Amino acid sequence: MTTYILRRLLIVIPTLLGVLLVVFLMVRLAPGDPAQLLAGEFATPETLADIRERFGLDHPWHVQLGVYLVNVVQGDLGESVRTRRPVTYELANFFPNTVRLTLAAMLVALLVGIPAGVIAAIRPGTAVDLLVMLGALIGVSMPVFWFGLMAILIFSVQLGWFPVAGAGTVWHLVLPAIALGTSTAAILARMTRSAMLEVLSQDYIRTARAKGLAGRVVVFKHALRNALIPVVTITGLQFGGLLEGAVITETVFAWPGIGRLLVDSILARDYPVVQGAVLLIAVAFILINLVVDLLYGAIDPRIRYD
Amino acid sequence: MRLKLLAALVMVLGLSVALAQPRTLIVAQGTDPVTLDAHLAIDAPSFTVIYQVVETLFTYTPEGRIEPNLVERFSFSPDRRVLTLTLRRGITFHDGTELNSEAVRFNLERLVAPETAATFAFLLRGRVTAIETPDPLTVHLRMPEPFAPILSHLAHGSTGIQSPTAIRRLGAAYRDNPVGTGPFRFDRWQKGQFVELVRNDNYWGTRPAIERLRFLAVPEGTTRMALVETGQAHVAVRVPPHDVPRLRARPELNVVTTPSVRTIYLFFNHSKKPFDDVRVRRAINHAINKEEIVNFVLGGFGRVSDAPISPGVFGYTAIGVHAFNPSLARQLLAQAGFNAQNPLRFTLSFPTGRYLQDVRIAETIQSQLRAVGVQVELQTMEWGAYLAFTNLPRERSQFQVAMLGWGTVTGDADYGLFPLFHTTQHAPRGSNRSFYSNPRLDRILDQARVATNPQAREQLYRSAMQIIFNDAPWVFLHSEQQVTAIRREVQGVIVHPTEMLILSGASFRTGAER
Repeated sequence: MTTYILRRLLIVIPTLLGVLLVVFLMVRLAPGDPAQLLAGEFATPETLADIRERFGLDHPWHVQLGVYLVNVVQGDLGESVRTRRPVTYELANFFPNTVRLTLAAMLVALLVGIPAGVIAAIRPGTAVDLLVMLGALIGVSMPVFWFGLMAILIFSVQLGWFPVAGAGTVWHLVLPAIALGTSTAAILARMTRSAMLEVLSQDYIRTARAKGLAGRVVVFKHALRNALIPVVTITGLQFGGLLEGAVITETVFAWPGIGRLLVDSILARDYPVVQGAVLLIAVAFILINLVVDLLYGAIDPRIRYD
Repeated sequence: MRLKLLAALVMVLGLSVALAQPRTLIVAQGTDPVTLDAHLAIDAPSFTVIYQVVETLFTYTPEGRIEPNLVERFSFSPDRRVLTLTLRRGITFHDGTELNSEAVRFNLERLVAPETAATFAFLLRGRVTAIETPDPLTVHLRMPEPFAPILSHLAHGSTGIQSPTAIRRLGAAYRDNPVGTGPFRFDRWQKGQFVELVRNDNYWGTRPAIERLRFLAVPEGTTRMALVETGQAHVAVRVPPHDVPRLRARPELNVVTTPSVRTIYLFFNHSKKPFDDVRVRRAINHAINKEEIVNFVLGGFGRVSDAPISPGVFGYTAIGVHAFNPSLARQLLAQAGFNAQNPLRFTLSFPTGRYLQDVRIAETIQSQLRAVGVQVELQTMEWGAYLAFTNLPRERSQFQVAMLGWGTVTGDADYGLFPLFHTTQHAPRGSNRSFYSNPRLDRILDQARVATNPQAREQLYRSAMQIIFNDAPWVFLHSEQQVTAIRREVQGVIVHPTEMLILSGASFRTGAER
């Protein structure tokens, strides 16, 4: 297992290098110029020249790439063109908030999605099943933007239960976490239901029931554990998706996360920040995938990592 | 039991909200400031915060006047090439550093230094070539040639005077810890969330009534409005037009509209046929119904432009509007050789999401021009790509007609006309992106830069704008209006035409005043 983890971690290096190259080229191929955007409508050739020189944008792209790679290896991700702060500082400021929001949203998704899926699966075809599936359909189709605004209007403006926006206390986290976690909850509910239905029709479940095991034990110990593998896979994928996809939720709830930072930076062609943020998200994605792979072994002892 | 829990939860929440609100005035802005270093700022949210902390030598009042601020008096040499400033005595920066002539020199030199790479360096670069400080309160600014708008340039927020000690001591970290002479001191900045300022009890002017100011960063308009509706913010800027009726119906809110110095216009590429023909340019001007755009697309939150600059800018005079007249438009087009068999076709380029309702404005123009037989194709781009596209030199420029906005942020007509219409300012050198040129206009704009008498300058700008109106290098659309929601318990908030807020005179009303 240690060898497996080490091998996986070694693969990270070429993967990240690839990610860096693609992002580096992509942001430069997009039309628009950071100096021009910084100077805006008021640009004069002198200002543009000053800004380009200040941020090394006057060098050919391969020179910029070389300098960038050398700096990245030394842990220096460059300086934001927009705010002129070190990129590492910007990421350190915003990334923890996104992680907090993502974890809370995932908690909502797991607490709602898996029980709902299990309940629907053990009563297939009943009104409960129909209700859960209808809820899941609505949950997955509802735009997070609309849902977030509705949640603010109802729970903050009308009822006054939660703060409208911002971060700071645990109460600030409730609405954004629900808004962000709902569609994942819906996906998990559908996934759990179908995986459970498949497992529940297996012979060993019939045997378990036949030997007189309590329904609860059959469902949770025998069926759910076996149904979890696909659910864990989806959870891992969704986790990555939540991490980068929190941008709309972050905008609606004025949550200071990396999604908003990334979008602002793309719009300003703030190359160093875009590169740094994508790199960080890629690292997070890779680590989550690794954790998911290791979880398989924990759930299903038949899986080995030789 | 559940009900009790819920009640307890609501109580705790209510308490936490109440505790979070001592006498702090909370303002919800659209974005977090980009920087708090006055010399590097370019955006309204940054300038709004900086304005409370850092002061300028002169100030551009909301009424459109340029008045001395940190300067007690000023005078020009007889040849108008030396501006002498006498600073107010006894002013100190928030860190205790004395405001003196050396501090002024340090700041102005820092703004124009190439290594600062400041966007607004052009306000002084080449205009002020030497700064002398004969004594601690006197500053001589030497100019290679007389430059009448110099006082308004020294009123622009980017020429703010900041503590040299703090800049030297903090280096790069200064942009997160500004130190000025203003009515409020910087306290803390939680990036992406809020900036907090506290009252400067040693302020040289009238001490503010508000003890603390907090600026929230709330990008989504509806969320911003929800904050001010629930009282979690007292002021919310940039009210979306569709939220106005709802907010107006709430007795605890005031919805205030203020003109902005930003003018929205279409500009013709004079290097492309047929836009070198004034008849075509006038025809399009007459075919577009600007009233309709302002009333129905902007929901009334705009003002049809009657000059290339807006009211509130020095040198503004109402010149006129190319009246909506489809039959005159058809006539002019026919004279230029366009008719039903040979219709005028062109592409209108515009940015998406940069200006209030920009996409709908472009669509409305397309349908209005269709009514006079002009076929318009719409082309939109994201702002970054669009800026580069419209700023190409003449030989490489591709657009035919395009939309932009211009804020005359210095409050002087020179900045609203010279960079946009003077022949030396053709893109990318300046902002004359339409490659328009009229030697007579150039002469007048040059004269207005050096004229000494304000009345004479106003007269010159009137003539200049008349020429521009007749030549119609633009379609003058409208100037935007700023809509701000302010809770009734707050008074004295001033919305400046340059899209900033002045909060030093704000206070909370007592119960009896509400």
